[in-house]
Amino acid sequence: MMHSLLVMSLIAGRRCAFPAPEVESVIEVGNITPIPRAPDYITGLTAMRSQALTVIDCRAAIGFQPQEFTLDHRAIVAKCDGDLYALRVDAIDDICSAVSEPTTVPGGFGEQWARVANGLVETRVGPALLLDLAALIEGHAGMGVAA
Amino acid sequence: MDDLLADFVAETREMLEASSGEIVAWEANPADSARLDTIFRFVHTVKGNCGFFDFPRLATLSHAAEDALADCRAGRRDPDSQLLTAVLAIIDRIVEMVDAIEAGEDFPEEGDEALIAALDTGAERRTKEPDEASEDEAEDTAALAEGPSEDVPSDPQSEKKSDIPAVQRSIRLPVDLLDRVMSGVSDMVLARNDLAHRLRQAGTQPTIDGPFERLTTILSDVRDAITRMRMQRIETLFSAFPRLVRDLSHELGKQVIVDLQGGDVELDREMIEMIRDPLTHIIRNSIDHGIEEPAIRVEAGKVEFGFLSITARQAGNMISVVVSDDGRGLAQDKIAAKAVATGLIAESEMAEMDRDDILELIFQPGFSTAETVSSVSGRGVGLDVVRQNLERVGGSISVQSTQGVGTQLTLQIPLTLSIISGLTVEASGQYFAIPQSYIEEIIHSSSKALNLTRVGETALVTFRGNRVPCLFLNDALELPESEVDEHDTTMVMLRLANGNLFALGVDDIHSHGDIVVKPLAPAVMKTGIYAGSTLLDNGQPVLLLDVTNIAAQNKISTDLRSRVLYDEDAAAQSKATTVHRAMLFKDFKGRSLAIRLELVQRIETISSDAVDLSGSQPRAVVDGVILPLVGLTDELPRTNKLRLLRLSDGSSQLLHAVQEVKEAIELAGALKPVKDEPLIEALTLVDGHTVSVLDGHKLFANFGEVPDRSDKPVCRLPDGEWARTILAPLVASAGYDIAEDPDMREDVAIWFDDEYEAAAALETEFHSPVVRLRDAPEAEEGSPTIYRYDRDALVEALKNARKAG
Repeated sequence: MMHSLLVMSLIAGRRCAFPAPEVESVIEVGNITPIPRAPDYITGLTAMRSQALTVIDCRAAIGFQPQEFTLDHRAIVAKCDGDLYALRVDAIDDICSAVSEPTTVPGGFGEQWARVANGLVETRVGPALLLDLAALIEGHAGMGVAA
Repeated sequence: MDDLLADFVAETREMLEASSGEIVAWEANPADSARLDTIFRFVHTVKGNCGFFDFPRLATLSHAAEDALADCRAGRRDPDSQLLTAVLAIIDRIVEMVDAIEAGEDFPEEGDEALIAALDTGAERRTKEPDEASEDEAEDTAALAEGPSEDVPSDPQSEKKSDIPAVQRSIRLPVDLLDRVMSGVSDMVLARNDLAHRLRQAGTQPTIDGPFERLTTILSDVRDAITRMRMQRIETLFSAFPRLVRDLSHELGKQVIVDLQGGDVELDREMIEMIRDPLTHIIRNSIDHGIEEPAIRVEAGKVEFGFLSITARQAGNMISVVVSDDGRGLAQDKIAAKAVATGLIAESEMAEMDRDDILELIFQPGFSTAETVSSVSGRGVGLDVVRQNLERVGGSISVQSTQGVGTQLTLQIPLTLSIISGLTVEASGQYFAIPQSYIEEIIHSSSKALNLTRVGETALVTFRGNRVPCLFLNDALELPESEVDEHDTTMVMLRLANGNLFALGVDDIHSHGDIVVKPLAPAVMKTGIYAGSTLLDNGQPVLLLDVTNIAAQNKISTDLRSRVLYDEDAAAQSKATTVHRAMLFKDFKGRSLAIRLELVQRIETISSDAVDLSGSQPRAVVDGVILPLVGLTDELPRTNKLRLLRLSDGSSQLLHAVQEVKEAIELAGALKPVKDEPLIEALTLVDGHTVSVLDGHKLFANFGEVPDRSDKPVCRLPDGEWARTILAPLVASAGYDIAEDPDMREDVAIWFDDEYEAAAALETEFHSPVVRLRDAPEAEEGSPTIYRYDRDALVEALKNARKAG
């Protein structure tokens, strides 16, 4: 994990990191087609070069109210289980390299974050939460699929 | 082996594949000379080709068959079933030999003479033996034919037969590579569209436009080809079934008619291979265990021919293949007893299982219901293997069976990537796609024939004389209420794979064309209402609706048994329409009122500024017609939209303003006459509340007005279903109003010619010019009649008749 590259972003006001190998690109978000009756954290579908991406609001997926935060007009494109996702966050920062192995902190990260976090990593811009993409995409348990 | 020989093998195979369906069709109708020709051509070509190579036995066989068939063609001999069986046996033998030639093996030398002798019709005794021989060989052939299609590396035991892949005129490609090429081409198309846009902005530039046009053409060709690379029509699989069914039913002494539908459904080549064996197995089972012997069928009151239907249908990124027979159905008791005997379940468990659970047992490993294991079904491969194979690729299999009525097996097969024909519809401002294969018809709900009504919470429409449940897409998807009035929506009539029909109300329909279905993320799939996504021409993603699941979620029945129940429901409902029914609504004084349903023509929504309060009598404009308006309080309600009931007594019309339309009810309770309220006929009880029934007679006597006649000419149609469902829309689209009741004066009338002649013979007076329709396409020169399906001539004749009149 040491020295591996991370894509830094701000989610619900906290600094978070995605492992760079999982990130395909960063795109400008165009039109979004909403998906009726999908869970709230799934904003809709958007197109990137003739491929449909599922747009996920990371703040809602973790269990926050997205309205309380700013929204970057770009999105992080990541692949999980063969499906492409566009992840909306507060802001997308730079790419950094990790300067530590992921570690846990005493007392944990809080209930909502614990589910999606793989640990804390130190970077040159400070500590960040390393996110587990699959857990993030699964969505917040309380947001269950609309019946 | 040299190339020429490889070509010979390939050509023989191709021809055989093409003619195997013909062979069975020929048997069904031996007099069909076209089929005979196809088969004759096959053996003839084989014979001719043999001349190039040294294959004396092939030549002898094909020569003998050719001779016999030539006799049939020349009428010297009638093709009978013995001859046919003999010819088929020879064709089978030819295939086996060709397989042997390809593999470079020697073919055992025996039986040829017997096969040739069997062509001699006179000798019944002799035909018997080779007949059986040929059946066995058919099995062997099937096994042989499967040999080369095995994946070579995964099958180290395959013998020298499959060691010669060089003779195949095809190559194997990893699916990944095809996917990459496919997505690359899609990207190219998008880039081209972008470029086209920029070129248009830059203005005409002949030096660039020419090559660009060429690029466009090439690109669309390439895209076509790439798309087709992976896809294959399921027909290639189906074409072998008539022969299979024929052979099996002969062997088992049964008579089976096979019906294949949906052969044009395309799916991944890989998937076709995947379901080949399961389907073959299911068909074998069906004929062996399901369909009864003719005598037993007759005893059970069925026709002696068993009916086996195999239907393929596309549902988003799933293909469903339904195999159903009208045989004896699955015997629940036997299955249960067998399961107990084989130790699958304990006796105590059995008592708690319902029929569905017990039927599920047939998919358990080690289960086989046949009392006697016949050579056909008892081959050690059970439905458990079928289910395993399907589940491995993400599909499923389910069974529905009614004892004595039949069995239906449904296979769901996924498509990793598929191109389907689809329709784009709009609901509450958003676009969705519906697979074309479900769509039966599209009707605008203002069409009177549709008769959209609400019974309780359920909306119903009338389609081809049946009441059909109706679902509004924005409700099903929990979208905001549509701005389009319920009676202004478009109804897409959808038929589910099990034959049930329902109407899906959408705001509008848009484009129609081929769409590339891509899978959705699991979290979205979990909603169960989408089958995939696709991109519109403008690059916008659109969701593909999972019609089957939407119907199931909304309890539009989906299995055999409830279909029967549903039919009874429908019958009960159509009966119910004969009792007096009324529309319940709330007027602007807040009263609950009812008006007899026969008077309500439709519910209109108009904007408030279409109401004119200047005269003594309020009026409103609807559809360009000024009509009197009643039911308003002194001031206009403060809404932009006003809901109105448009009432009609046949000639006069008027509008009644309503605050809220509730539902259609039956006037079952006693009607208590009311004296002092001028427009109220009676009071009645509905669910314990009093409701005033409007006095239609007084309403029309006081306010009814014959609306200014529209400019459209009126056309009277003959009676009958055909006229109502097929002729009426055509005439209406040609700009005519249809005469609804006998008193309405028409400008022109359409008659069926036979009825017209009968009427003329009775010296009936015709009030208007008449257009006569005949059933036959041809007629003698100068006939005054028109063929009923000649649309242009009909429209022209209507125009001329009216001018003449």
